[in-house]
Amino acid sequence: MSDFQQLALQLATQQQSPVWLNGLRAQAAVDWQKVIWPTRKTEHWKYTSLASLQKNVPAQWAVANDSWQQDVEFVAVDAHRLVFVNGIFDAASSSELPAEVVLFSQANIAQQAVIEQYLGKIVRGEQHVFATLNNAWMNEGIFVHVPRGQIFSRPVYVVHVSTMSTQPASVNQRLLVVLDENSQAEVIEHFVSTAERQNIFVNALTEIVVGDNAQLQHYRLHLEEENIQHVGAVHVNLLRNARMRGFTLALGSRLKRIDYQINHRGQGAELDLQGVYLPRNNQMVDYHTNVQHWVPHCTTNEVFRGIIADSAQAIFNGRIYIHPLAQKTLAELSNKNLLTSNKAEVNTKPELEIYADDVKCAHGATISQLSSTALYYLQSRGISRSEAEVMLSFGFINELLQQVAEPAVRDYLLPRLAVLFGRDQTLLEMAD
Amino acid sequence: MSEQVKQLINQEYAAGFYSDIVSETLPPGLNETVIRFISAKKNEPEWLLEWRLKSYTAWLEMIEPEWAHVKYDDIDFQAVSFYSAPKSMDEKPKSLAEVDPELLRTYEKLGIPLHEQAALAGVAMDVVFDSVSVLTTFREKLFEVGVIFCSISEAVHKYPELVKKYLGSVVPQKDNYYAALNSAVFSDGSFVYIPKGVRCPMELSTYFRINEQNTGQFERTLIIADEGSHVSYLEGCTAPMRDENQLHAAVVELVACDNAVIKYSTVQNWYPGNAEGKGGIYNFVTKRGVCHTNAKISWTQVETGSAITWKYPSCILRGDNSVGEFYSVALTNNYQQADTGTKMIHIGKNTRSTIISKGISAGKSSNAYRGLVRMNPGADGARNYTQCDSLLIGDKCGAHTFPYIESKNPSAIIEHEATTSKVSDDQLFLCKQRGLDAEKAVSMIVNGFCRDVFKELPMEFAVEAGKLLQVSLEGSVG
Repeated sequence: MSDFQQLALQLATQQQSPVWLNGLRAQAAVDWQKVIWPTRKTEHWKYTSLASLQKNVPAQWAVANDSWQQDVEFVAVDAHRLVFVNGIFDAASSSELPAEVVLFSQANIAQQAVIEQYLGKIVRGEQHVFATLNNAWMNEGIFVHVPRGQIFSRPVYVVHVSTMSTQPASVNQRLLVVLDENSQAEVIEHFVSTAERQNIFVNALTEIVVGDNAQLQHYRLHLEEENIQHVGAVHVNLLRNARMRGFTLALGSRLKRIDYQINHRGQGAELDLQGVYLPRNNQMVDYHTNVQHWVPHCTTNEVFRGIIADSAQAIFNGRIYIHPLAQKTLAELSNKNLLTSNKAEVNTKPELEIYADDVKCAHGATISQLSSTALYYLQSRGISRSEAEVMLSFGFINELLQQVAEPAVRDYLLPRLAVLFGRDQTLLEMAD
Repeated sequence: MSEQVKQLINQEYAAGFYSDIVSETLPPGLNETVIRFISAKKNEPEWLLEWRLKSYTAWLEMIEPEWAHVKYDDIDFQAVSFYSAPKSMDEKPKSLAEVDPELLRTYEKLGIPLHEQAALAGVAMDVVFDSVSVLTTFREKLFEVGVIFCSISEAVHKYPELVKKYLGSVVPQKDNYYAALNSAVFSDGSFVYIPKGVRCPMELSTYFRINEQNTGQFERTLIIADEGSHVSYLEGCTAPMRDENQLHAAVVELVACDNAVIKYSTVQNWYPGNAEGKGGIYNFVTKRGVCHTNAKISWTQVETGSAITWKYPSCILRGDNSVGEFYSVALTNNYQQADTGTKMIHIGKNTRSTIISKGISAGKSSNAYRGLVRMNPGADGARNYTQCDSLLIGDKCGAHTFPYIESKNPSAIIEHEATTSKVSDDQLFLCKQRGLDAEKAVSMIVNGFCRDVFKELPMEFAVEAGKLLQVSLEGSVG
C-alpha cells in the first residue's frame, strides 16, 4: 500500500458516520487496501501523475471556515441551494429544502431504503480507484429523489466551497440523484474555492439514475483555483428512453481528474454530453469519459473542447464501448483542442470499442492553433491581432456555451471566462 | 447461403501444405548455448555474438507486453526451436538448378514466380525459406548500379561496417520484448543498401515462409537508403498449415538519409488458424523507419493472415520536411485477432504524416487500430492527418480504435477521424437493384472501402491483395 492509501484509511477511522452506512464503508475500506495504486504505467493514468498527492498527503480532514462569503459568488438561479464548505454542510447559506432533497444524515427510514438500494451500486470501483476511497470516506452526502411523474420546477444547486488550509487536508463529497419514471429535474454542481492559497484534496463522487422516460439536465462546474487537487467522477445509469443532457467545465489546477462513466442500460436512452477545459499556467486537467452501450437503440453525442495555454497540460480520453447486444447504436464523439503556447501540451485519445455490427459510430479529434487565415481576416477588418486571437479562442468554446440550456449558468460563466481570456465587456456583447 | 459460398467457406487454406525437407533444427529451448550455436553456425564475428548476448540478457529481464487487445495462452519460449535451416543449405546452391527440387515445388504451389522470374522482369527475390536465405537473384544486375541486396548474414561478412553502424540504430535491442528476443536469436533476413543518388532499377522483393513445425522465425531486415536514393521493397508472407501456434517475431529497420525515399509494402497471408481458432501464426513484429531531412518513408500493408497480429510500422520523422505515410488494410475472420497501427513521431520542422487505416472484421474476430501521433516541441508546422475506418461483417466480431494523440507544439496541426459501421443496407440495396447478387455487391463495396490503400500498392501486389481479400471475405457474407 502506498503512503496515501494508508493515511486515507486512518482518516476514515476519524469520522462519525450514520450507522446504516457502516456496511458500505467497511467493505470499501477492505477494497481500498487491495487497490493497485495507479502509476504512469497504468493505462488510465498514463499522463496524469499522482506524485503530488503522494508528496503532500492530505492527512487530516478540512475544517469548517466562515470567511469565504465575500470571495464566492453563486450562480444567480432560483434553486434549492445546498452549500458545503470544506465538505461540511453550511445550513445558513443554504435555502429551505423540499422533502425530496435531504442529507444522508437526515434521511428518514424510507429514504434510507432508497439510498441503500442505489448507493455504491452505479459506480464500479475497478473503473475508478477513487470511487472506492469515496465509499470508505463517506460520512455524509446529498440525496435527491424525484418521485414518479414529478417535475422539479427549481433546479437543485449544490455548491462546494474550498477555503484556505495551512496543512494539506481532505474533503469527501457525495451526491446521489435518483429520477423515477417520467420525472424531470435539473442538477447543478458547482465547485469553487476562495482566492487564498488552498491546500485541499477533494474527492467528489456523483451517482445518477435516470429512470424510464425521465429527463435530467446536469451541470458540473469545476472553477477551483490552482492549488486544489480534485479527483471527481460522475457515474450514470440511463434506463429506458431516459434522456440526459450533461455539461461540464473545468479550469485547471495542480491535479484535476474527472471521470464520466455513463451506462446506457435501457433501450432508447439518449445522452448529450458537452465539456470544456481551460487549463493555464502550470495547471492540468484530465477528463476521462467512458460511455457504455449495453442495449440496442441508444444514442450518444459527446463534444469536448479545450484551450490549453502557457505551460498547461490537458488530457482527454473519450471511450465509447458498444457491447454485443447494443445493435442500432448511434454514437459520436468529437474532441477539439487549441494550443496557444509553445509549452502547452495536450494528449487525447478518443477510443472506440465495438462488438456489435449494426451500429454507426464515429469519433474525431483535432489539435491545432488558431487559423492564420481567420486571424488575417479579422486584422484586415481593423481588429488588432491580440484581440482577434481572443475573439477566435472565445468563439471556439462559446459555441458550446451557447448551447447551455440553463441561462443562469451561461450568464454566470460568460463574464468569468471573458476575464480569463483577459478581455472586457465588448467580448460579452459579442458573445450574446 | 449459396452452394458456392459454402464451398468458399470450407475451402482449405490454399498454401497449407508441408514440404518434406530434411532440416537441421535445434532442439527446442532458449539459452546462451543456443545463441552461441546460431552465431557459430553463421560464422559470425565476435562483436555480433556479444550484441546478441547483450540482447538476450536484456530480454530475460523484460516482461511480455499485455496492453494489446489480444488474448492468447502464454508462449512457452522453451518449447520453441530457435533455428531451422533446410539441410541442403550447407552447400549453398550456385544456381536455380542446384536448389532442392522439393523446395522449388513448394514455391511453385504458392505461385511464386521463381522459375518465371525472367518473365516477370523487374522483381528480384530474396527467398527466405524458414531462416536461411536460399537464393538471391538479380543480384549482379543490382550490383552494377551499386545496390547491395543480400541476406543479412552475408552482409555481416561482406559489409561489416554498414551493418555495425545501422543494426539496432532504429530499433534498439531493448526496444521491446519481441525486438529484444529477435536481436538475440535472429537467424537471417534481408539487407539492402542503396548508394547516394541511386534510384533502384527494380522493385526488391522478399518472400518469407515458415515451414518447419514448431520453429519460430526471427528474421531481421535492414534497409539503408543513402542520400537522394529511392527504393521500393515488397514483402510477402505465407506459411503452411499447422496445428500448434507458430511464433514469428521479426524486426525491420529502415534508414532514409537526406532526400531518400523508401517504400515498403507488405502482403501478409500467414496461416490464420482454422475455423475453430486452432493453430495459426503469432505475428509479433517491430517495424520502424527513421527519416532524415526531406526523406520519405511509406508503409503499405495488407494483413489478412496470422492468428494474432501485433504490428506497428512506425516512422520517426527526425529531419525537417520529412514525410511519413501509413496505408493499411487489416482483415480478420474466424478467431483471428489483430492489434495493428502505426506511430508517427514528429521531431523535425514541417514534418508531415498521413495515416489511412481500414479494418474489416468478420466472423468472431477482433480487429483493433492502435496508433500514436506525437508532435514534439520542435515540430513547428508539422501536420498529421489520420483516418481509421472499420467495417463490421457479422454481429460476433469486434472493431476497436485506440488512437493516442499527443501534441506539444501549437503550430502543429493534427486531425483524426474514425468511423465504424457495417455495409450499409442502402448501398447493398442499390447494388442488388442493379442486378448484382449480395456476394458480389459486398465484395465490390469492400473493395471500394479499401481502394485508398490498394492504390498505394505496387501492381503485382495490388492484384494479390484484391484476391486475398475477396476469398477471405466471401465466406463470411450471409
